[in-house]
Amino acid sequence: MFGSINTSMILAILPEIMLFILAGFVFVFDLVWDDSQRRNLGWISAGGFSLIIMISLMLGTPGSDSGLVWGGMLRHDWLGFAFKMLFLFGATITALFAMDVEDLGKKGEFYLLLIFSTLGMTLMASSSNLIMLYLSIEATSLPLYILAGFFKDDDKSTEAGFKYFLFGAMASAIMLYGFSLLYGFSGTTDLDAIAGVIKAGGMNPVLLVGTLLMILVGFGFKISAVPFHFWAPDVYEGAPTVVAGFLSTASKAAGFTVLIRVLLTSYAPASDTWMMVLAIISTLTMTLGNTLALAQKNIKRLLAYSSIAHAGYILIGVVAISELGITGSIFYIIVYLITNLAAFGIVSVVGRITGSDEISAYDGLSRRSPWLGLAMLVVFLSLAGMPPFGGFIVKVLVLASAVKAKLFWLAFVGILNSIIGLYYYLIVLKHVYLYRSENEQVEIPVTRPYAIGLIVLTIGIILLGVVISPWFNVSTIAAKVLF
Amino acid sequence: MITLNWVLIFSAALFSIGLFGVLARRNAVAILMGIELMLNAVNVNLVGFWRFSNPAVITGQAFAVIVFAVAAAEVAVGLALVISIYRRRKTIAADDIDLMKW
Amino acid sequence: MTTELILFFSLALIAIITGLGLLISKNAIYAALYLVLNFFTIAIFYLLLGGAFIAMAQVSVYAGAIMVLFLFVIMILGAEKLGKSNTVAWQRPVAIILSIILLIEAGYVLFWRTAPVQAAQTLPDGFGGPASIGNVLLNNYLLPFEITSVLLLVAMIGAIVLTHKQKTDKEV
Repeated sequence: MFGSINTSMILAILPEIMLFILAGFVFVFDLVWDDSQRRNLGWISAGGFSLIIMISLMLGTPGSDSGLVWGGMLRHDWLGFAFKMLFLFGATITALFAMDVEDLGKKGEFYLLLIFSTLGMTLMASSSNLIMLYLSIEATSLPLYILAGFFKDDDKSTEAGFKYFLFGAMASAIMLYGFSLLYGFSGTTDLDAIAGVIKAGGMNPVLLVGTLLMILVGFGFKISAVPFHFWAPDVYEGAPTVVAGFLSTASKAAGFTVLIRVLLTSYAPASDTWMMVLAIISTLTMTLGNTLALAQKNIKRLLAYSSIAHAGYILIGVVAISELGITGSIFYIIVYLITNLAAFGIVSVVGRITGSDEISAYDGLSRRSPWLGLAMLVVFLSLAGMPPFGGFIVKVLVLASAVKAKLFWLAFVGILNSIIGLYYYLIVLKHVYLYRSENEQVEIPVTRPYAIGLIVLTIGIILLGVVISPWFNVSTIAAKVLF
Repeated sequence: MITLNWVLIFSAALFSIGLFGVLARRNAVAILMGIELMLNAVNVNLVGFWRFSNPAVITGQAFAVIVFAVAAAEVAVGLALVISIYRRRKTIAADDIDLMKW
Repeated sequence: MTTELILFFSLALIAIITGLGLLISKNAIYAALYLVLNFFTIAIFYLLLGGAFIAMAQVSVYAGAIMVLFLFVIMILGAEKLGKSNTVAWQRPVAIILSIILLIEAGYVLFWRTAPVQAAQTLPDGFGGPASIGNVLLNNYLLPFEITSVLLLVAMIGAIVLTHKQKTDKEV
């Protein structure tokens, strides 16, 4: 029982409260405005999200204490806070990219669901209790199921929403069963207290592994790690492109936050057990993602498999179980979120005009729109891990952490996979720069919201790779929370 | 005397039946029912743990109440998705919904 | 205390049989009715354990709201017939293996578990009743309780977004 509500509790959920208020605004304006004005809801949402980031940075930064608030439901620490800001940034960009999408940009419901999903993610980032964790994961997923199936007159979109829901609901039910056993045998739902019970040997090793595997099903689904990845290509292909972008970035990052937090707090005493499991998952995820990406003809499916592969790279840092490793993983997630958002943004721009998501639709893109071509170059080279872009430094970091943890084989697999990855990213760039197409005269107009979003993201990718120290410091502060 | 072991076995059996239903059924509505059964098994677990550990701590029951709410919301969204896919395809058989290959 | 045990085993048996009935039945409406029966049995089981509030919630939320929704959808779609093949071919072995692994784990819990099992303590009056649960939900679990409202709102919006038919020019 925590008696009355005090200031620190309010400050801990400041972003969430403001998201509620933003949702209220969108609700009201959606009612008041007519169809010609509703596009402005995108500006309101994007502006609101960035305002929330600014206000939170000014008022809501975590203090130096343990930060447990709301009766132990949430932990207001830097790990959670850094990710909250990241999710809000992702939502800002997604709102911008959605504005000019037909059947989507003028729908108040879309922005509402986006806001509520972001609300769930911010709670995921700071949950420190099994009940809160489960609830926030569901609060994130439920709006995303709806968003994936948002185009109800489109066969692929409805199918994407349906598949995403079925796999998601099943994975979360298995995870919940794991939670219930974990609660029952440790006698508590508090993540730290569970660690205490495990450390004292209060849990049978078989049960420990059993609950761990069940929980990993749920988390593995969220981060689309092998063998819980097979929904990703279908859902990314079928879902509206902006939604796929949000799914592959913010939702995946949220999955990683809870994975990192649960494994490194609750299961920290049993780290030997899960390290090997996670190392194998990481290897399979990288290899399968990259190999299957080679054969793709559809750019959204290619990005889906590439995003699966990236989940594998991020896991390398987690497997290392060191401050450097987690720092690398967090930094990787930041870079990955910004880069992949840009990739899906470009796909959305091109898809609007050409009406196709095939890679061949990108033939001669550099001539049709030099700026888009340039953005594509930056994004794909960063995804491939080339210097001087963000993707390079983070890959070096996670691989270094693996070497430092004496996991040479894992580092080797990572390097090998980067080379495979390079190949298919360069093939896409070949289409963009070298191939010619007959409709080169047809320009690809980039509307203002897209332009703003893409410029911010492209500059971000370059900044992340060139000016490293601020990002590295933030990641270190966030990682320190766990050690 | 009922013991916790029996409750856990009972819940595991329900969960396995639910999981089997989810994996093996064709009808999307039946798959959803399987998921409901799995969530029910979780609740049996939670109530059992509440009863057989320290009943003064009502955490287990509070957890179960939250699971109720989530299950209700999930079913509403799931059935809405089923309806929307039925309108397009005139089928709700899971393996007929394969426009995109797995 | 044997009556309690007999009651428990008969309830468990009914619940498992109805669960299996859900698996086998070819007609979706029968499946749904099996599930209703299953939910009722579990509600009685909660009563047996002393969770009166949970039992009531089980009946009203699951057997009431959720199953009515299921039946409505089945009837709206007219999708009660499941066709000749009932299951997806390749998934059956996978499903069997997974389910068996789970049952083995459950067996392990029963026979070789090392953690001590506490016998159920007798409950004081009014325990696990609405008052005490409400007290906990609005104190310790205030935040999750509030967040469930978001979840239900999302479900509402989602149901409307996904099923609301848009008026096209032809219809107007």
